[in-house]
Amino acid sequence: MTTFADSAAAVLDAHPGGGRREAWRAFEEVGLPSASDEVWRYTPLGELGLERHAVATGPSPAAPSDAARRLAAGAGVVLTVVDGHLAPVGELPEGLSVSADDSGRSHTGQALVERYANDAFSLLNAALAPATTVVRVEPGAVLAGPVVVLGLAGSGASFARLRVEVGRGAEAVVLEYLEGGRDGLVVPLSEYAVDAAGSLTLVTYQRLDESAWQVARTTGFVERDARLRQAVIGLGGHYDRSRNDAELRGPGAANELRTTYLGRGDQVHDFRTHQLHLAPRTNSRLLSKGAVAERSRSVYTGLIEIEKGATRTDARQTNHNLLLSPSAHADSVPNLDIRENDVLCAHASSVGPLDALQRWYLESRGVERVDAQRLMIQGFFYEMLEALPAALAAPIEADVAAAVGEVARAAQVGS
Amino acid sequence: MTSTLSIQGLRVAVGDREVLKGFDLTMSTGEVHALMGPNGSGKSTLAHALTGHPGYRVLEGSVTIDGRELLGLSATERARAGLFLALQQPLEVPGVRPLDMLVAAGADPATVGARVREEASRVGLRPELLERFVNVDLSGGERKRAEMVQLGVLRPRFCLLDEVDSGLDVDALAAVARRLSSAVGEWECGVLAITHFRRLLVELVPTTIHVVRDGRVVATGGPEIAERLEREGYDGFRAPRA
Repeated sequence: MTTFADSAAAVLDAHPGGGRREAWRAFEEVGLPSASDEVWRYTPLGELGLERHAVATGPSPAAPSDAARRLAAGAGVVLTVVDGHLAPVGELPEGLSVSADDSGRSHTGQALVERYANDAFSLLNAALAPATTVVRVEPGAVLAGPVVVLGLAGSGASFARLRVEVGRGAEAVVLEYLEGGRDGLVVPLSEYAVDAAGSLTLVTYQRLDESAWQVARTTGFVERDARLRQAVIGLGGHYDRSRNDAELRGPGAANELRTTYLGRGDQVHDFRTHQLHLAPRTNSRLLSKGAVAERSRSVYTGLIEIEKGATRTDARQTNHNLLLSPSAHADSVPNLDIRENDVLCAHASSVGPLDALQRWYLESRGVERVDAQRLMIQGFFYEMLEALPAALAAPIEADVAAAVGEVARAAQVGS
Repeated sequence: MTSTLSIQGLRVAVGDREVLKGFDLTMSTGEVHALMGPNGSGKSTLAHALTGHPGYRVLEGSVTIDGRELLGLSATERARAGLFLALQQPLEVPGVRPLDMLVAAGADPATVGARVREEASRVGLRPELLERFVNVDLSGGERKRAEMVQLGVLRPRFCLLDEVDSGLDVDALAAVARRLSSAVGEWECGVLAITHFRRLLVELVPTTIHVVRDGRVVATGGPEIAERLEREGYDGFRAPRA
């Protein structure tokens, strides 16, 4: 059996450029995290078994599922990325370009190895992803339909890298979708750059196999008066870690982030956010909502950081968790780091079961318990789904409703 | 077909306090019964215990519809056996739409939309209010009317009406009373109206009145009971010494 190290060495031999060797060396120096690192304390790192995941040397023969096809049906443009390899792209609307970038650089111009120094999984991505898929919206362009990036992961270790660049005053809706990854390790690394007065609505939708390990990281770069609206939805994965950072770099920049997760079985959903306010009058709104059933658990750790000089910043984070079984567990850890006085900043979090009286009310109308729970869990997520872009909402809502149905049934068995 | 609701020797505790202390009542579909008594006599406890509210503990007794025991059943099964409770303060269920609730409760998805609009107009409720989440952002009167819409769609065999008259404006009260009166004619709904005012009974004329004191029925009869109440107040109906 090919081990991770052997297959990684083969990838590096075949594609030594683009800063890959440097990134690999940096990974070797940093090493995998351990549970004694605070930010990894909830991660079952002992189950990762990095060595069992061989790196694909080319795209695995994966075909999009029916769910992926339904999402693609609402798209203006569909891009298919298999294990980080961008499939041939058809005709594109005016103002949109798609390319593969093998320079090994971040949007910031830094080498990836510098930008993501000390982050073992991002360094692995920098070393082993085939290239960065770049989706660029030209300044002033307003795309008519969403760009759907169908990310398919084979088994083994799968590294995809995406950069979305929205030019000055441009507007776009992008869905970054991910499925597959049976028994695999999936490490996507994404950057979303929105130039002055631009607007990007970005949906990250993770529907990996429930045996997959995902360690994802995204960073938004939001310039003056630009807006990045994000929805992150995590349904799949055995261990689903998603770190979503945003840098509010210009005055008036805004980031809205809604994360939604549903856990059952032994799933772990581990969400990390970091909103970095660098400029005056920047605005961030975080709303994170999750439900955990059976033995699943969730972690929400959010940091709002406000730099000196980011006056009149307004930053809020809210995290609500539904506990649907006595064995399920949710941790909520909001943090603030404020170095400026003239700001508004707030956080709120809650962890608890479904309201027993509301459930009784529905039951006293003749609703079965499992349906009452399904309706209430769906209601809990209502405000998350309501914010989805119209062209993409229906298939995602249907998937979430199906997942809620399963979670409600699991909760029924557990209660 | 006439059904009979029978409550025998019911003892119910709220926390450590026994509130119903051997409650007996029998009624049939097509009848309107009023349960009158002072505050704290156990009227609301009866309604909540019958419908399986989690805060009420049944210590002893029996509640049957046509001989089928309800007390071991879940709240859902009791509702499906024919019990419907209109609450004093209908609960808000954020995120859940009335139509979804009614379909989950057994209403026909093909016709429920039309049925809801029809029932809403009968009780003078603007139908768009039923596009809001269950009882959310509705006034007290609108909630009571919304529950009458549920009743009209679900057509239960028995409706327990818990203190529906407290804090309700006269128009809403009349609308609720009229809807229940027609329900008695339409599908022989049995109505047990819990109240401590007589106001409701002007529109909703009871066939039988029960006076409850200290967790037991102390008198049962026709309109003469109401007249006696008018003259003597509840003090005229002392609980017999146990």
